[in-house]
Amino acid sequence: MKCDDCLNFLETYLDGEATEREAEALRSHLITCAACETQFEALTAENEIYARYDREIQISPAIWSGIAASINAEERTAQRESKFNFAEWLSGLFAIPSLRFAMPTVALVAIAVVVGVAYLRMRAPQTPSNVSADLNAGALPKSKAIGPPPPLAPKEAGPNVGPFVAVNYKPRTTRVAHSTDQSDVLPDTDPANSDIEDRDTANHLEQAQNLLTSFRNIKYSDTDEEVDVSFEKAESKRLLGENVLLRREAEQTGKYPAKSMLGSLEPFLIDIANLPEKAKPADVRQITDRVQRTEIVAELRGY
Amino acid sequence: MKRLAARDISLEGRPGALTGSLMNSSADLVTRACQGDQEAFRLIFERYSRPVISFIYDQVGDRELADELTQETFVRAYRGLKSLRKETKLSTWLFGIAKNVSRESLRARIRQNQHIDLDDKQVLDLSDQSPVPSSQLLDKEFNEVVQRSLALLDEDKRLVFTLKIFHQCSYEEIAEITGFSIPKLKTDLHRARAEMRQRVGQYVRT
Repeated sequence: MKCDDCLNFLETYLDGEATEREAEALRSHLITCAACETQFEALTAENEIYARYDREIQISPAIWSGIAASINAEERTAQRESKFNFAEWLSGLFAIPSLRFAMPTVALVAIAVVVGVAYLRMRAPQTPSNVSADLNAGALPKSKAIGPPPPLAPKEAGPNVGPFVAVNYKPRTTRVAHSTDQSDVLPDTDPANSDIEDRDTANHLEQAQNLLTSFRNIKYSDTDEEVDVSFEKAESKRLLGENVLLRREAEQTGKYPAKSMLGSLEPFLIDIANLPEKAKPADVRQITDRVQRTEIVAELRGY
Repeated sequence: MKRLAARDISLEGRPGALTGSLMNSSADLVTRACQGDQEAFRLIFERYSRPVISFIYDQVGDRELADELTQETFVRAYRGLKSLRKETKLSTWLFGIAKNVSRESLRARIRQNQHIDLDDKQVLDLSDQSPVPSSQLLDKEFNEVVQRSLALLDEDKRLVFTLKIFHQCSYEEIAEITGFSIPKLKTDLHRARAEMRQRVGQYVRT
């Protein structure tokens, strides 16, 4: 091996990439050539000096936390997507050869039915007074869509309040503030607000009914020193706050049946909320007797 | 603070270095991680985070950014685990992802004109003109000189140099990570060595 070849080959040799034959030839040359041997030692020293390089890097626990958070978020998204993908399902239907030609017809019929129903409901809109009448008759509007608030008088709102109008919920706090501000001038006759109130009241009364049923069914005997009513007490406290708010709103908006129902419920909520978490059986019995005697649960159910 | 010397960060590690929870083979860990075992992936992270973060740091020269890019590297690795072929070494594959993540970041930084050119003259002054530093300052200054010198290499040379010198990758592995041909990477490595020699040569003589 000549010196030029040796020098060109030194790095490959030091990198451990030389074949056995090449390495042998190089070693033989290094024994006989002092200049190449010096160069070889310099390169070896150079390689060694880099082992001293210290980046002073620490692996922060936050790195793994970030990775785990990203992975978990992606997996949650993937799970949600894998549950049901309507678009894929629909495209799958269209991909079935036997249905490929029938599906457009089915889709057209479905659209026609939806449009027809929407048209019929638009023709017979339900005014706030109708809703009120329904409420009095015991028919709760469970999931009515809400239209935009009327610009001027409540009368004009009638035709606008129809189904298939974009839902536009208002935050509860805004609505309460609005009705308070305007209470000296006009009652809150906004049909959108009215609908939300009705739904809130219905939900609230349903929860109260569940609470009273649960309370009435508490199992205990007279020999028990105390009865654990911590859950009912906490639930009652929560419902009491809601009840007061809803009762006031019902009063302001002239919904007297709702106000009356909420008014009848309130004493029960107060009594349960004021029980100790470990109540005496006698105190519990007093309330359950009253629940049964007044038939408040049946009244709530009928509302 | 645990200091990471270049000799500590070889992906293969020293014999017997893997103990306790790290006794699982990489192939086993990959199989388990593919089945959704997050603990297995955490062990992969524990095993490879040091070499990966060191490699990224050498490319971008910014500690916080290196943390961020390491995180991104492992998130991408988790997503792509199922595409990892059996014949590919996990370390090589991770370095490949780290290389892509670092490059994207460097390109984005250049686009945002946030690239700060280091003063070559300053580095040369430090290494060639000043007297030999005292032993207490030697390590610190040496680290700084190496860091600055690495930053002055062009991207390809820096990649090849760090993979060979600090991570002891074979030419074949470097070719797989970088996508370069072996003649190109040998040329880049030779030139990178020469440039680095100019800047850190003084420390070799001490």
